[in-house]
Amino acid sequence: MHLWVSDVSSEVGEVSFDRAIVAEHLCKVFNVSKGTLRRRKTRVVAVKDVSFVVDYGEIFGLVGPNGAGKTTTIKMLTTMLIPTSGRAFVLGYDVGRDVTRVRERIGVVLGGERGLYTRVNAIDNMRYFADLYGVPTSVRDRRVRELLEFMGLWERARDRVETYSKGMKQRLHLARGLINDPQLIFMDEPTIGLDPEIAKETRSMIRQLVEKGKTILLTTHYMFEADELCRRVAVIRNGEIVALDTPSGLKRYVMDTSVVEVEGFGITEAEVARFKEVSEVLAVSADLSENKQILKIQTPKGSEIISEVQEILKGCRIYDLKIKEPTLEDAYLRLVEGSGE
Amino acid sequence: MPLRQTLRVVYSAFRLAMLHWLADPQWVIPNVIAPFVFTFVALTLFKEASGPFGLYAVLGGGMMGMWGNTLYASGFAIEFEKWQGTLEEVVATPSNLMHVVAGRSVSNAVFGLTNMVAILLIASFVFRVHLGVANPVLFGVAIVLTLLSVSALGLIFASAFVLSRSAQVFTNGLEFPIYVVSGSMFPIALLPFWTHPVSYVLGPTWGIEAIRTAAGQANVSFTFFQDVGVMVLITLAYVAVAAFLFKKVEEKSRRDGTLVQA
Repeated sequence: MHLWVSDVSSEVGEVSFDRAIVAEHLCKVFNVSKGTLRRRKTRVVAVKDVSFVVDYGEIFGLVGPNGAGKTTTIKMLTTMLIPTSGRAFVLGYDVGRDVTRVRERIGVVLGGERGLYTRVNAIDNMRYFADLYGVPTSVRDRRVRELLEFMGLWERARDRVETYSKGMKQRLHLARGLINDPQLIFMDEPTIGLDPEIAKETRSMIRQLVEKGKTILLTTHYMFEADELCRRVAVIRNGEIVALDTPSGLKRYVMDTSVVEVEGFGITEAEVARFKEVSEVLAVSADLSENKQILKIQTPKGSEIISEVQEILKGCRIYDLKIKEPTLEDAYLRLVEGSGE
Repeated sequence: MPLRQTLRVVYSAFRLAMLHWLADPQWVIPNVIAPFVFTFVALTLFKEASGPFGLYAVLGGGMMGMWGNTLYASGFAIEFEKWQGTLEEVVATPSNLMHVVAGRSVSNAVFGLTNMVAILLIASFVFRVHLGVANPVLFGVAIVLTLLSVSALGLIFASAFVLSRSAQVFTNGLEFPIYVVSGSMFPIALLPFWTHPVSYVLGPTWGIEAIRTAAGQANVSFTFFQDVGVMVLITLAYVAVAAFLFKKVEEKSRRDGTLVQA
């Protein structure tokens, strides 16, 4: 299923410096070896026929489930992987041929607990990457200080990174991604694993970067984050872009539906599977890990389905049941569930 | 990339590696305790022998430390980045990965050199061995150039680690044969004739000859400069081969997606 809520394919094809990113029919196929004694090679298609453009000054979101192809797409755009077919231009340069020019002009923030030299301090981490990016020595130390101050890390800049909290490490990742004053920054799940307060702080910093004239491509699992930050969002599923629009444009896709949200206890995968079989149910998501379980059922029937919900959840405890307007997350779920995952 | 930027990257990688070494107290074991044990064993074995065996034992042990450190740690340079999760960030910069590894390789050789210094000091002050070095200046020059040659050889092996960590098995297996074939412990004349071609394409073989010449002869000899000259040429060839290999393996890993696989 391909849903181009707002088709941008016509914009692709003309390569110029007017766009921050132009991706044209990008494909990536990996040959994976399986077996120990009898090794067999199989082809895994990670990304197929991905095309999109990103404008200067935009925050562009790439969302999708694990293994959908988000990171592979980012790696091709940041020159870390060579596309099997198709081509991409970053800041007007071909990612396959102008590798050094692309690398000089972009920032990459992969985030997480790793990806930093933890035995040395933040200043040494920053200086090292400044040298690798060829930042002029006359501005290097000033820029290191400015960035660490901007991220609120200067007070602890001389402490070993291994003593930093998760949030501090994430801010150091962001600071390092800016060391070469890039025009375009790629961020792979910049708030994953952060507590809500630090995640909010990180999102605020991302907005500040765009105010300073940067362009950002970010991947995220959090739909509210994409809704809050991104001007446009591409939903990627099984290596393909299945929708690309503004967050409100994507929400329109589920305007004809409502969401029955159930808070309860004792709900199992069996109940979730039964909901998926109901013809009026378009998508189901469930968080069954916590004591207070949350089930979200997308349906065009709204309150008409409540009696059926109660029937399926007969043996479970229901704390609350409400009918809500769909969010970007609901639109996303409907799009990614189209695969039958 | 301009030479100045290349040297800056090499120095920066060297500096970061040294900071990491100093932050990790484990270096005491390979660089102080192991040389002490080695010196003790070697000097006990050569106790009754006449001639400059003490010096040979000490230089051999030192070379072993320098080579072992470089071979192990040059390969480890890529593994280290993978463990830290920094390899992708490093590769994403416009710098050549080989220059980064070169900085690390030199730092490893320097650390290996501390191993040699530790052996010299332990032999002189603890075991009271007289280590007369006839020409200390040329002795120092030969050691530094040998160190660079060893680093360049380490670079070639490091390129294999970009593709796979199975390369560790390869380098582990090569450590001792190269140590023997390069004549670190005893002259290559004692080895079978068929091993000589291998010895002569190893830069450290010529370096060790030059070190021994400087240690034994006060006057500058033609042999010394010949050995040093051949070593420099071989080292340059290593750098050229390493540059070619790095280019190829980086391209292959970008195509296959093996760059950051553990």
